[in-house]
Amino acid sequence: MISARTAPALLLFAPLAFFAAFFLVPMAVVAISSITTDGGALTALHYTRILLDQYHWDVLWVTFRIALVTTAICMLIGFPLAWYLVRIVRWRAWRRVCVILIIVPLFTSNIVRSFGWMVLLGRTGLVNQGLMGIGLTDRPMRFLGTETGILIGLVYILVPFVVLAVGNALATIDRGYEDASADLGVGPARTFWFVTLPLCLPGAVSGAIMVFALAVSAYVTPALLSGGQITVFSMLIFQQYSSVFDFHYGAALSVTLLVLTLVLVGIAGRIGESGRRAA
Amino acid sequence: MARIRGLVTASTLMVAAALSPVSAQEALHVAWYGGNWGDAFKACVADPFTKATGVAVIPEVGTSTVTLAKLQQQKSAPTIDVAWMDGGVSELAQAAGVLDPITEAGVPNLANTLSQAIYKDGTGIYAVGTGYYSLGLTYSTKEIKTPPASWNDLWKPEYADAVTIPSPANSSGVPFLFFLHKIWNAPAGDFKPVFAKIKTLKPALFFDSSGAASNAFQSGEAVIGAHFNVGAFDLIAKGLPIGFTVPKEGVWATDARLHLVKNAPRKAMALKFIDTAQTAEASKCLAEKLYLGPSVKGVTVAADVARKLPWGENGSVDKLYLLDWNDVNARRAELVDTWNREIARK
Repeated sequence: MISARTAPALLLFAPLAFFAAFFLVPMAVVAISSITTDGGALTALHYTRILLDQYHWDVLWVTFRIALVTTAICMLIGFPLAWYLVRIVRWRAWRRVCVILIIVPLFTSNIVRSFGWMVLLGRTGLVNQGLMGIGLTDRPMRFLGTETGILIGLVYILVPFVVLAVGNALATIDRGYEDASADLGVGPARTFWFVTLPLCLPGAVSGAIMVFALAVSAYVTPALLSGGQITVFSMLIFQQYSSVFDFHYGAALSVTLLVLTLVLVGIAGRIGESGRRAA
Repeated sequence: MARIRGLVTASTLMVAAALSPVSAQEALHVAWYGGNWGDAFKACVADPFTKATGVAVIPEVGTSTVTLAKLQQQKSAPTIDVAWMDGGVSELAQAAGVLDPITEAGVPNLANTLSQAIYKDGTGIYAVGTGYYSLGLTYSTKEIKTPPASWNDLWKPEYADAVTIPSPANSSGVPFLFFLHKIWNAPAGDFKPVFAKIKTLKPALFFDSSGAASNAFQSGEAVIGAHFNVGAFDLIAKGLPIGFTVPKEGVWATDARLHLVKNAPRKAMALKFIDTAQTAEASKCLAEKLYLGPSVKGVTVAADVARKLPWGENGSVDKLYLLDWNDVNARRAELVDTWNREIARK
């Protein structure tokens, strides 16, 4: 007989074991290797090498700047899209088509999609042909190898996360609050600002956090679209593992990025929390 | 009594093992690369080996660095018998102590192997080359009518923003710096002039992966640059207007090498496998499928294959700049760091 207590424990065992084997253990391996030498002695050298070097801070700034701008643009595009899907579309079938259109690209690998952007954004690509065709520029514009190129690729890949998170939050808002606000004589703009927006803030913040975390750690998209001319932090990590074979330094770089990202995400989480309380 | 019974059981088991048909247990485990490389290794070496010996081959697919990581993890109880790894990683594997020496007695075909393709150190032969590939000058035949004659053509103003060379994240990136250092006669050990000149290059991209280079040539993003002969001729085979040439300074090249894993569970078969790879037939087959320059002496290929080899038409292994990977590995971290600071930022 399985008692009422052991049943949840058994159910929990599988996911916990999976989590431990595929997340905690590899994470511990990386963390340990970041504070040891080849001989196994403890050292803080890898971290001082990173943190005392202005170059790494410069790369971190580029990485976080790209991630922040990506998040901002994703919100600006994703919020209206979610609003359109949840509040404006009346025809169910069309809404379903829209949702499928948003989700389907997620089934394709980032590598393929980034290669696609390389073709589109290239000197002789469709975008430049179009820009030159309508006479906006005479010479092909440089997208590859610029931050703009990386931003286009990241925003394209990450927008669906905002649409899904915000859409979900919007759909669960009780329209009664907005009606009550209107009944009390408040205009639609103020109702949106003081009622609707705070109510979907938690969803928006979780969408933003997802986008930010994925953009900070993205490797494939920046690596392909930067053309090796802009360096983000994940590229430094990849280099150490793939080409320099200094796993200790690579691990320290990974942990640095992880900790700094967690700090920023923690701050963003606080903002979401206070938003929820205000609502 | 118990001892006798034990002996009987053991000998029965041994006889049974000797008589039993090929089972997964007995199969030889060989680490090789993915994609068309793995397919070619299977067709050119593994299949003839299985045909001759009746021993099945189980591939362990991974890039050179992944294979090295696996060998390091299973150091105490290896399951892989033979491993293909590229030049560079090969030396790291030897330094990591995961290889056993390959003996002339175990691999008689070493007598037919080019001396350059037999890699020895104090402990003996640690690797055998199975074919060379090079990083040559690749260009769009649509935009460039006469084949470029020199690597310095990459700096011509008409190719501004349309040039590609490897980044240090690619396995050819750091060796390419050594190659440029040599052809420009830079002072020994000083890479400053090399970086200074690369800084004046107007690139379309520095490629991380061979696939990114292929993509750039295919889309027209790159008009001229460095690419592997294997990748370039794959594009040419697809009908794209692309040329591959060995300029007057020559080309940097390396090779895919076979290694005997330390304490390999099936050592005799492993040596036999390496021997099969060093036959003229296997070498010719790899030249036809992957355009690898044969490392076996006296292999002749059809003219259409010959022009795709790493040393170009009418070339030979002497046209290749084969460097000492230990020198590269010693300066790898420092050169990657300098590249990051000097080149890979705007």
